[in-house]
Amino acid sequence: MLRLDDISLQIGGFSLQSINLHIRQGEYRVILGPTGAGKTVLLETIAGLNRPQQGTISLAGKNISATAPEKRHFGMVYQDYALFPHLSVFHNIAFSLHIQKLRKKIIRQKVDRMAEFFRISHLLKRLPRDLSGGECQRVALARALVAEPAMLLLDEPLSALDRLTRDRLQAELQRVHRQLGITVFHITHDLDEAFFLAERMAVMREGRIVQQGTPREIARRPKTGFVAKLMGLRNFLPARLTTEGMIEVRGMGRLSRDFLRPAPKQVGDYLVTFPDQAVEIGSVQTGKVYCWQGMARIAEMRRGRGRVDFKLALPDNTIIFTACSQRETDRFPCSPVPGMEIEIGIMKKGLHLLAAK
Amino acid sequence: MSTFRIGMAAIGLILIFLLALPLINMITGTDPTVLRATLADHEVSASILLSLRCALWATLAGLLLGTPLAYLLARCSFPGKSIIQGLVDLPIMIPHTAMGIALLMIYGRKFLVGGLFAKIGLSFVGTEAGISLAMAYVSMPFLVNAARDGFLAVDPKLEKVARTLGASPRQVFFHVSLPLCRQAIVSGAIMMWARGISEFGAVIILAYHPMVAPVLIWERFESYGLKYARPVAVLLILICLVVFAGLRWMAARRQED
Repeated sequence: MLRLDDISLQIGGFSLQSINLHIRQGEYRVILGPTGAGKTVLLETIAGLNRPQQGTISLAGKNISATAPEKRHFGMVYQDYALFPHLSVFHNIAFSLHIQKLRKKIIRQKVDRMAEFFRISHLLKRLPRDLSGGECQRVALARALVAEPAMLLLDEPLSALDRLTRDRLQAELQRVHRQLGITVFHITHDLDEAFFLAERMAVMREGRIVQQGTPREIARRPKTGFVAKLMGLRNFLPARLTTEGMIEVRGMGRLSRDFLRPAPKQVGDYLVTFPDQAVEIGSVQTGKVYCWQGMARIAEMRRGRGRVDFKLALPDNTIIFTACSQRETDRFPCSPVPGMEIEIGIMKKGLHLLAAK
Repeated sequence: MSTFRIGMAAIGLILIFLLALPLINMITGTDPTVLRATLADHEVSASILLSLRCALWATLAGLLLGTPLAYLLARCSFPGKSIIQGLVDLPIMIPHTAMGIALLMIYGRKFLVGGLFAKIGLSFVGTEAGISLAMAYVSMPFLVNAARDGFLAVDPKLEKVARTLGASPRQVFFHVSLPLCRQAIVSGAIMMWARGISEFGAVIILAYHPMVAPVLIWERFESYGLKYARPVAVLLILICLVVFAGLRWMAARRQED
């Protein structure tokens, strides 16, 4: 549906470099990246607010690179909603319909229908300054969707909200996507948000797309250390592939290279990474599920809401991280305290290999 | 109240006292019957009306010509922007008599622009048009700067989102940017009008006659002395105070709505 081919652009301190994206009709696509990665520039370029210096943007096969934003029919919601402060909620939602010079009766019908969909009919006479964050967000969505745009562009729409409202509105966005069947392009720096909403995801760094795929694919097989860290991975152990086909991992010793995906081919330095849940602690089974099993010292532990976070030192003092639920720690042979030695197992299945750089 | 605030208030009060003292002294020291007689003086009322009218024309021209420039200064970056900004501020800095002479040398009948206008029957020397022109030149910075700050205060995201909602740049300006900085423009226009009414230096060079109120005050002071100049001055001050207080109040009410 929407294709970006080799889009490059320099604007202020931000740049986009050779961006290639293909968003399918009806897809919920999330762009995940840290602040300053150029996500908003990308979104505004798709909206037509920035003109790419190179490459083409096409919608349903038609080149729209030079099309003015008002002719692209994309709805947009900014992080701070950008509601017109001088207009009531009704007139905010009706803005695009007024611009189209539709008849008053039709405008009324469309606004009422949208207000009903977002359950904001009781707010129509209010001014934006009298709305809560969650209400502003719904009004901004209604305003963006009332003219039935080809696509919905969302610029970190949930990051200004408290956790409760955010969770509720995540579900709301999912409902909008499912019920209206609209294509959504959503940028965020929040991993949970990306996992909850994305059908497909692209990771962005310094103006480039570094990896694309489903959230699950990217989380399981990050291409770089940056993506792995963004996906929440915290365990990175230096490793070296020897000429005998064994891989020497710091803290874990020599392992067969068959344990690793992708299987290393060239002799040299690598990083072995694995998620927290690949480290079993306390009640380790015996069997072939582990690539390493042994005693580790609890260097630090932090109790959160129903969750305990462990920093563990392997016998050679290599540090790894894991977390488990409070209930699991209750099943440990004895209650964990810092300094205590505890049995752990690192599962083969979670291991992933990255280039050392 | 903290000691710091009491100190600030004390210093503020000194300034208020210094500002208000000459006005209060002049207004209270004038006999109301003399004021009534001055108001009945046709020359005085005509000069005050002329001041108000010419400043209004200047302000309308300022709104028409100054608002687009203010928008550009707020929204665009272009080579020479700081020079243009300096040019806009120039009338605040240079002596207004010098400004009047500079205007005379462009808009005088024997000079370039004045000669062209003379051909269509419009003269700027000794006419209402000349007075309005002089007022517009010296008071324009108040409107342009206020409007520019107003446009700067409008979040560019509002304009961007309006574009995605189907509005052309012109529609965005009239439906979003302009309504949102209306208060700043109105405030700038009031300031421009006020500055226009009080203009003396540039006006007297370009048009001694017909006499605007500040010129009449000066003429009476020079020809007949303080006693005759004072009631005209008091009258002008009172009218200005009432008009501007009214305008400010109306602008503030619209803002609240």
